[in-house]
Amino acid sequence: MIDRRSIAGRLETRRVADYVVIQRDQELGVVDDLGMRRAEHRTRWQITVHVDMPAGRGSAQVTLDALDGDPEKIVEEAVALAEHSVGPAWATVPAAAPARVELTDPALATQESIDVVADGVLKTLPRGGATISGRATVLREHVMVSARQGFHAEWQATHARVDAVVALGANSLAIWREARRRDGLDLDAAITDALADLKLLAVAGRPVAGPCALVLGPDALLHDGLGVWAAFATQADAVVARQGLTRYHEHVPVVPGADQIVEPLSISSNGALPFGVRSAPLGDDGAAVRKFALVDHGIAAGLGLSPREAALRHRDPNGGVRNLVVELGSWSGKVDATAGRVVELRRLRALEIDPYTGDASLEIALGIDGTKPFAGGTIRLDLIEALARARRAQTRVRRGPYDGPSTVLLERAELIA
Amino acid sequence: MSWNRREVLGGLGVASAQALLWAFGCSHPARPVRHALGEVSSEIRALLHEAVETLAGAGLTAHALAVSRLRSTAAIDVLGGGVAHARCDGVVLTVQQPKGTREQVTSALSRDGVMAAVRALATRSGTGRVDFGPAPRPARAPSPDPDTITDQALLDSVADIARRDTVQSSRIVYAAGMIDIDDSMLWSVAANRDLEQRLYRVRRSLTRVAWNGTRPIVSEVSRAWTGGINDQLFDDAEIAYAREVALALMTPTAFPDGEHALVLAPNVVAGVIDAAVRSLLTTTAALRPEVAQRLAVGATVASPVLTLVDDPTTAGAYGGFEFDDAGQLASTMPLLDKGHVVGRVARGRRPGHVGPIEPASSHLRLAPGTVKELPLDDGFWLEGTSQNAIVDPASDRVVIAVQRALEIKHGKRTGRVFADVEVVGDLGPLLASITHATTETQTVGIRDEVDGLPRWRSIEAPFLLGKGLVRSRRPR
Repeated sequence: MIDRRSIAGRLETRRVADYVVIQRDQELGVVDDLGMRRAEHRTRWQITVHVDMPAGRGSAQVTLDALDGDPEKIVEEAVALAEHSVGPAWATVPAAAPARVELTDPALATQESIDVVADGVLKTLPRGGATISGRATVLREHVMVSARQGFHAEWQATHARVDAVVALGANSLAIWREARRRDGLDLDAAITDALADLKLLAVAGRPVAGPCALVLGPDALLHDGLGVWAAFATQADAVVARQGLTRYHEHVPVVPGADQIVEPLSISSNGALPFGVRSAPLGDDGAAVRKFALVDHGIAAGLGLSPREAALRHRDPNGGVRNLVVELGSWSGKVDATAGRVVELRRLRALEIDPYTGDASLEIALGIDGTKPFAGGTIRLDLIEALARARRAQTRVRRGPYDGPSTVLLERAELIA
Repeated sequence: MSWNRREVLGGLGVASAQALLWAFGCSHPARPVRHALGEVSSEIRALLHEAVETLAGAGLTAHALAVSRLRSTAAIDVLGGGVAHARCDGVVLTVQQPKGTREQVTSALSRDGVMAAVRALATRSGTGRVDFGPAPRPARAPSPDPDTITDQALLDSVADIARRDTVQSSRIVYAAGMIDIDDSMLWSVAANRDLEQRLYRVRRSLTRVAWNGTRPIVSEVSRAWTGGINDQLFDDAEIAYAREVALALMTPTAFPDGEHALVLAPNVVAGVIDAAVRSLLTTTAALRPEVAQRLAVGATVASPVLTLVDDPTTAGAYGGFEFDDAGQLASTMPLLDKGHVVGRVARGRRPGHVGPIEPASSHLRLAPGTVKELPLDDGFWLEGTSQNAIVDPASDRVVIAVQRALEIKHGKRTGRVFADVEVVGDLGPLLASITHATTETQTVGIRDEVDGLPRWRSIEAPFLLGKGLVRSRRPR
């Protein structure tokens, strides 16, 4: 049997510079409207080992999804792997205190079986006004971290996700929500918005090509999680930055003049956001999670730093990019009548972002051209440029890993039919 | 400027990050010990029998599925080689309920683990009598016997292929070869059913990357099958193709956006077929009213040239199997017959054999046509896909990202090659425009992951001639 203490004990006897052993005891419940009810109990292991060699420091990270195994052999493999993956030398900084963050919803962390809890979540899905087929997934986990010199941390966390297909007449939309708390799913609003959009889809025409101002509503803005804001998360990847593959560099404007506009863009990563879906006391590499700025008033301000990247830069690690908090703007949501053609994007079919350039392709599922709903068409954007100069709403939305303005206005875009 | 190797390969879908983490830089750690399958098979079957009988004693009709899976990845790139192994065990107990099913899953493939799962399902104790039928034949082992294949042999098999690429170019900035093996042993036990199978899925790939202006051109050839590791090898033409495509100079002028006659290479066709089947031709996709209406059984949705079946019985198919994860024996499922919808994918498959069951294809076969060469006078030959095709089930909209468009004039290549184009429009008209298919087919194997669990499938497709709207993907 694999056992955390025996793995840590064996690592202590090896000549390793540092190590982190993470054990995740997980209960996963899945219930759907098609009659599936599932409960899973699993343990996942992650072992990170650093060894100092004459040529530098070698690192390895091993993940296992099994209960049966020989700890001696696992340690032997991890150390061998680290010894053959040597890079520049660096020294581990002393461990910082884990972030204090609430991650457990008492409504999900009950004594009930995990499938019963998932069933309870599915039952909160509103059913009126449409045909709805849903699936609820609930995760309860107990995370235990052991590191060198007796460092130990543990915490509990809950996570819920609901996926649903909402059908009205001849049209349907797929929606999903995730949150640490059952109440955070906000399913009533999700279904209400879906029903409104389905009514628009029923009368939607075809897109008309041409230039326009563009309003990105919350469902388009946050397509698949972080949505368009994911462009900034990639740019804050320290490894990519060190390779010189980022679009911009620290301490300079993200695009020329981004710091000179009336409401310059500010984005921070907050891994200690209470009940944030990407919040955690410690990162996967054992570093304490910290809040930091990615973009500060239009200027690239920080990177997600693992212990290695932080040490190479003589800084403190911060646990990487987590939940994104985007500063609100002052835009009321009203569009100037003189702005010309305005297209509002309600929902996307697909969003593709080039992680290096920030170039994006937005496939439109539902838009409103002036007052006319339409389905189809494509928008191509330089997201870094567009979002740096976008007008941000003064109303806030918190959904999944995002906390920020509910809509943004881009003054110039080209709709491709 | 250099590319992160993991990103290059990860972007290609060549391997998961976990595999690459193991594969790159490491030497060859010892292979995780897995007991000889012949020895443990009878023990595991006895354990599953006991579980099903105990559940029967509680008045429940049960199916027990157990898997022991070992993944081995050997890769060699410009900086060296390495081998990785990962092991995953699991047992899924499924009981029928008046309205659906209830499942208990454990990663403990032991008596304690399985009986704990049984207790979670059974509200009362007792042992029923269940007739499991005849004992299964021992699962067939591939040749050569995997237990005799060393890590060094895996590396050697990758290195042998790399050595055959005798033409060197300083413009190739990254080169890699890989073999990726999923060795799954499965046991399925229920009333009148006692099955076992060994699925030894192998993927080989060869990657070359060269810069073209400010963008990298990534070229990959791959083969995927079920069987012995040497059942399929790259021929010299494939090795040369990988190199030459990476080195080809792309035409810098703008692509002429518009409707064109098109030849779709099998890898492009496979991407479209895979996305279309997953989005439109499964029993869960049919829950969407647009899909149910557009793709009702009997509806004409494509050209008469197109006949499609899902056939897990195809010998050596990467997505093939003897029985599915619901324990049903493999059988051919017709999906399209000369352009008419005749069925939907309903067979149950589980990611990693232990994930939640979902209807999924196994080995899709698009029937070959009747011509050896396609009669394209003017148009484009499209080959290579950089990402999954997008098929929107709500609207039928399709976006197919294509790596290269080769211009054809008067039946011959002009030499102009455009990078990064896309075919866009509605899927129905695109499929209806197909006029010819070749007798030659090629097979594409796909391995992707859901929640860290792998899904395997394959698609066999000919070259197709049709027409569609093609445009550049690059910003002007």
